[in-house]
Amino acid sequence: MRYLDTDGYPWPSRTRRIPLTIRGTIFLEEAEILEHRAYPAEQYIVTVSAPEAARHATPGSFAHIRCDPGIPLRRPLSIMRAERASGRLQFLYKPVGAGLAALATREPGERISVLAPIGRGFEPDPARPRILAVGGGVGIPPIVFLAEDLRERAGLELMVMMGSEVPFPFDLVPATRAIDGVPETASQSLALFEQWGIESRLASGAGLAGCFDGFVTDLANGWLRASTKQELARTQIVSCGPEPMLRATAELAYAYDLPCQVAVEEYMACGVGGCAGCTLEVHGANGAAMKRVCVDGPVFDVRSIYAKPSIGS
Amino acid sequence: MNPLAIDFCGLKLDSPIVLLSGCVGFGEEYTRVAGFSNTDAGAIVLKGTTLAPRLGNAPHRVWETPAGMLNAIGLQNPGVDHVIREILPKLDFDETRFIANVCGSTVEEYAEVTRRFDDSPIDAMEINISCPNVREGGVAFGNYPGMSAQVVAACRAVTRKPLIVKLSPNQTDIAANARACVDAGADAFAVINTLMGMAIDPETRQPIIGNIQGGLSGPAIRPIALLKVHQVYEEVRRDGTPIIGQGGIETADDALTFLLAGSATVGVGTALFYDPLAAKKINAGLASYLDSHGLGSVAELVGALDSGDALDVPASG
Ligand SMILES: Cc1cc2nc3c(=O)[nH]c(=O)nc-3n(C[C@H](O)[C@H](O)[C@H](O)COP(=O)(O)OP(=O)(O)OC[C@H]3O[C@@H](n4cnc5c(N)ncnc54)[C@H](O)[C@@H]3O)c2cc1C
Ligand SMILES: Cc1cc2nc3c(=O)[nH]c(=O)nc-3n(C[C@H](O)[C@H](O)[C@H](O)COP(=O)(O)O)c2cc1C
Ligand code: FES
Repeated sequence: MRYLDTDGYPWPSRTRRIPLTIRGTIFLEEAEILEHRAYPAEQYIVTVSAPEAARHATPGSFAHIRCDPGIPLRRPLSIMRAERASGRLQFLYKPVGAGLAALATREPGERISVLAPIGRGFEPDPARPRILAVGGGVGIPPIVFLAEDLRERAGLELMVMMGSEVPFPFDLVPATRAIDGVPETASQSLALFEQWGIESRLASGAGLAGCFDGFVTDLANGWLRASTKQELARTQIVSCGPEPMLRATAELAYAYDLPCQVAVEEYMACGVGGCAGCTLEVHGANGAAMKRVCVDGPVFDVRSIYAKPSIGS
Repeated sequence: MNPLAIDFCGLKLDSPIVLLSGCVGFGEEYTRVAGFSNTDAGAIVLKGTTLAPRLGNAPHRVWETPAGMLNAIGLQNPGVDHVIREILPKLDFDETRFIANVCGSTVEEYAEVTRRFDDSPIDAMEINISCPNVREGGVAFGNYPGMSAQVVAACRAVTRKPLIVKLSPNQTDIAANARACVDAGADAFAVINTLMGMAIDPETRQPIIGNIQGGLSGPAIRPIALLKVHQVYEEVRRDGTPIIGQGGIETADDALTFLLAGSATVGVGTALFYDPLAAKKINAGLASYLDSHGLGSVAELVGALDSGDALDVPASG
């Protein structure tokens, strides 16, 4: 088989070679908007029909979306749900500027150009079946996808913790079980997750009812602190969210000595590995390298991005 | 006969479309997109390559601007030896022609990178004397005809493969520079590279691009690019030196205007970022134009601008 060393583009490395099967793995679809709902604090959930992307999406992968014909560059959005049977893709987003604001005006029945799925998603370590998934703000979507994807996998214990400073754009229900290390104030969980039989707890600094009052990483810290040594040996973290949250997640991973994968963001142009516009400095055995967030990521080993915090910090 | 086929410095291209340096990685990246094929392009120019590996600039490296974008990648590349040993062997030269984009900080570096590519399967070399995103070298060589000619002469001395010189729009007299390069041995020109630009975030009061300045590309620069192609063509047409016209081309109509202005082939870069299948569409549009105008070959359009009596009146306003 012929190989393409994609590592050779950002930086030479002889370790990982990717088969030429990268060809034809990303699909360009004129996706019809099926549903588009607004939630408090300028949050939107949009559902589109993009059968090829829905068939091939994996948790952590994203779509590069043309928000409006008048705005040329695409915007990257994580895939929150992908339903193979119906060919539906769902996204959760919060406009920052002109692109996503234009997307928010698009109505059901209209079509948007969707380039997806893109990127290497989460690859949880099978040797560590106890998974702590931490999502914050618009970093929640890939965590939802991962939870839905893993829910039927036997032997996994999934604990999802989500943080938001604005009301969650999901139905909430009272959690049914008490969890060690989680304060009683964190009494709500996501209805969807209850349906899937997955534990979830919420955090917010905005005083939202039923949420832990503080950072989601502090909520997670409580849970980790209450875990036994044997439990920690089976635990890993996956995370997506704003930069300060990822940094705090990295500190947890170092403090408890846990493997941890995080999905990161960077400004993008092509979204398919062609322009090197989206790179991130990563550190590995071979020293520093620039990796493309779009196709080498967006999920990276947290230790390759954040150095171990020095004692006292 | 394929009406889109065109001869470019002795290379037989199946289409006048050239995918541009820095936009398609090292030739294989866009094949990720289903429906995209390297065979849709007459040639593909690889990312700018230097003698030693380069990590490139700090983020952010790209930023959208009205009808275009700024980029400051900083020539991130794994170095010429890696490109030749690890990347070229994996490219399918049956699908299209591959052109190297040669960069350097000294005349000697340009010549050495060219010499190493000469001893490789690469079809041609494009000398990038117009990269605005690295402090040393790059555009400094491109802004002065004397220095441009020095670089070209040094590269010419080490290869017989076609040498394309990529000209900067960030200079006073692009035609004078083209003349100096032809005299120094250039076989073809790429016109134009990006224009220098900047963006500032009023909230943080900081430049958005990590490198502070970046190169502007996309439809925003198209009229400037068209004029520069016209100017260079008028200067070098008598030498028969062909041009890869580029700058904001996204449709068959855009491509047609560049051909009429004198470019033998047309480059597509930024447009791929929003329309990855642009090359296919432009090919189809060109073929249908030739058909409806009763033309047998795209070559008949090159420089076929009907400028009436206006040519002798260069002043504007
Ligand atoms: C892999 C990935 C997944 C993402 N998933 C989601 C998601 O599920 N939901 C969501 O709301 N947001 C998500 N984002 C962030 C989202 O892409 C940006 O908020 C969005 O591009 C901003 O566009 P705008 O037009 O609203 O803002 P503008 O400020 O007008 O954008 C200007 C330019 O900057 C870029 N840009 C600005 N902020 C970001 C950013 N944080 N990340 C990347 N590019 C940025 C834009 O893409 C655009 O090119 C994701 C980003 C990445 C890289
Ligand atoms: C992200 C990006 C990277 C680029 N890198 C290079 C490069 O390495 N070498 C080079 O000669 N030109 C480079 N260019 C310039 C393009 O090859 C092209 O000349 C320019 O963008 C104008 O064409 P366009 O408007 O179709 O993109 C780059 C352009 C972009 C947008
Ligand atoms: S956005 Fe172009 S390489 Fe990632």
